[in-house]
Parts: sequence; structure tokens; C-alpha cells
Amino acid sequence: MVFLSVINWARCRGPDEFWRKRRVFRLAAHYIGRRRNCYSIAVRNVHRALVYATKARKLKKEDMKSLWDVRITAACEQHNITLFSLREGLDRANIMLDRKSLSDLASWEPKTFEALAAVAKYKLETDRFIDGQDKCHPTGINLNLKDVMLEAWLNEKKK
Amino acid sequence: MSAAKRVQQWATFARSWHIFDCKWQDPYESAHVIKKYLMGMHKPIYHPMNDCGDVVVCINSREIALRGDEWRKRAYFHHTGYPGGASWTLAWELHNKDPTMIIKKAVYRAMTGNLQRRHTMQRLFIYPGENVPEDVLQNVTNQIRQIRYVPKRLDHIPEEEVKNYPKVMEYPEDFVVK
Repeated sequence: MVFLSVINWARCRGPDEFWRKRRVFRLAAHYIGRRRNCYSIAVRNVHRALVYATKARKLKKEDMKSLWDVRITAACEQHNITLFSLREGLDRANIMLDRKSLSDLASWEPKTFEALAAVAKYKLETDRFIDGQDKCHPTGINLNLKDVMLEAWLNEKKK
Repeated sequence: MSAAKRVQQWATFARSWHIFDCKWQDPYESAHVIKKYLMGMHKPIYHPMNDCGDVVVCINSREIALRGDEWRKRAYFHHTGYPGGASWTLAWELHNKDPTMIIKKAVYRAMTGNLQRRHTMQRLFIYPGENVPEDVLQNVTNQIRQIRYVPKRLDHIPEEEVKNYPKVMEYPEDFVVK
């Protein structure tokens, strides 16, 4: 009689050698040659594979991020805007789209992306966003520094 | 076709052909531009495993411009594999031997090395002058913008135009031009 997964999991917990090895062999089932048949070789390769899998979970996210960036950059070039200014403009226009959605829109709905690029461009233009700065609003006006500082200045002990 | 893929327009398996004029361009800067078109990185559907790269035709590769004194300083290394088989060729020597080689190597080095790189390079055509075979030229549909502006040389402007050009001032009679 062949026991399938559930009952095997229950018995895996024990210190029994057969089941301990079997757990490793299950993970090495798709390997070739002695890597799947000899325990001492299999366990080494399984360990290495698990390490790769752990690292790859992070790498996969980074790879996808760089791929989306390449795609969005390509789409931005078609509308004569850079990736940086697109993101800046969309952030200012309060359009919170991430890389994945932007790249999906760029390839599946190019007209939507064109509209987004136009929105970003127009927003930056109205903000006078030049060289990474707002040229029309000097910094400090928005911060209302005078309100913050006045009270502190009044409370300060004068000689 | 499933409903989800109804609007999929991933073109197209058609390659478009681009032309790039290398005249007075830095090959190492323009390699990054050419690479983008060769690998298909100018399309929003780019993926390293999808074959969406285009064909690029480079003309006037004899007329490239290297920065500073790189013609004399930059060396191209080659090793035959035998002991003592190393050789260093200066950029001007290489350019005299084969005027297409510098741009070819620049594009090759601009791409990250993987198995696809050599196949991608097959899609790059380089011609030393303006003479491009007709069967290549008839496919070209787009021109890649040059990175650098190519200035007009004074001795290439017709003399009449130079004479008739408006002047701010005239030199005095007794002015000595160095």
C-alpha cells in the first residue's frame, strides 16, 4: 500500500534515518546521476539548491525592477520625457503608480501611458520644475518657517 | 486566442532597420545608443529572452572621432593563445587596418556578455563610407539621431556665402592678423 503525502509528513518528524533521508531525496528527485541516488552527494546539492533559492527570492525582485525600469525608459523616450521626470511629475500629480503598473500600461495600453506622460509633463511645467528644483517657489515659503521660528524666538531669553 | 491575450500586439516578429551616421561621433558613446536598438531596449515590450531587437546599419565608420589623444593612447589587446602571443594594437593602427573594427568592438563591449551577444552582433552592419549596398539600404526605415552635432567646416562652406555673411565690424586697415 502506497501512502501519499499527508501520512508521510506526519512520519517525517521522527528521527528515523529512512525518513530523514527520504526528505532529502524528494528534493533531489529531479537531479541527474549520483546526485539523486547517493545520499551524501544529494544532501550537499540539495543544501546548495536551497541556498540559491533563498538568495534568488531577493534577486528576482531586483531583476524585475530593473526590467521594468528599462521598459518604462523605452516608453518614456517615445514621448520625449525621462524616467526621472515622469516619476517626479506623477508623484506631484498624486498618481501613485508603481513600476509594474507603469510598464504594463506602456506595453498594453500605450495611449494611457501617453496620457500619463502628458500629465507628468504638464505638472512639471506648471510647477516650473527645472534642474530638480522648483524655480518659482523659493524653499521656505512652503515650509512656513517664520511661523515655526517666531515662537521659539519670542521664548528665547534675551540678554 | 484567449480573451486575456486579445489585445496582445507584441509585434510582430518584424524587425525594423535603423541607420546611424557615425561621422564625427564618439564610438564609445554611440555604442550605447546602437546597443539599445540592437537589443530592442527602445521598445516597452523588451525582455532579454524575447527576440525583439532591430537591425542597425552604421555608415561613415571611417569618420569616427575619438576623444583627446585616444587615437594614440588606446590599445586593443589580442592574444593568440600561444606563449608570447600577446599583441597590443593602437587605435589608429587598428583603424588603418579596418575602419569598421573600432565601432564593432565598442558595440560588442557595450553589451553584457551572454550567449545572445554574438547573434545580436550579426544584426549590426557597418560600412566605412557612405556606399551601402542597395539591398541593405532599401530596408532602412528610420534614422537614429546622432549624439553630437556635426559642425560645418569653414573650408567646406562656399566662398560666396562666407563673403556675404553679415559682419559685426570690419578690421581696421592697419590691423595685423596673427
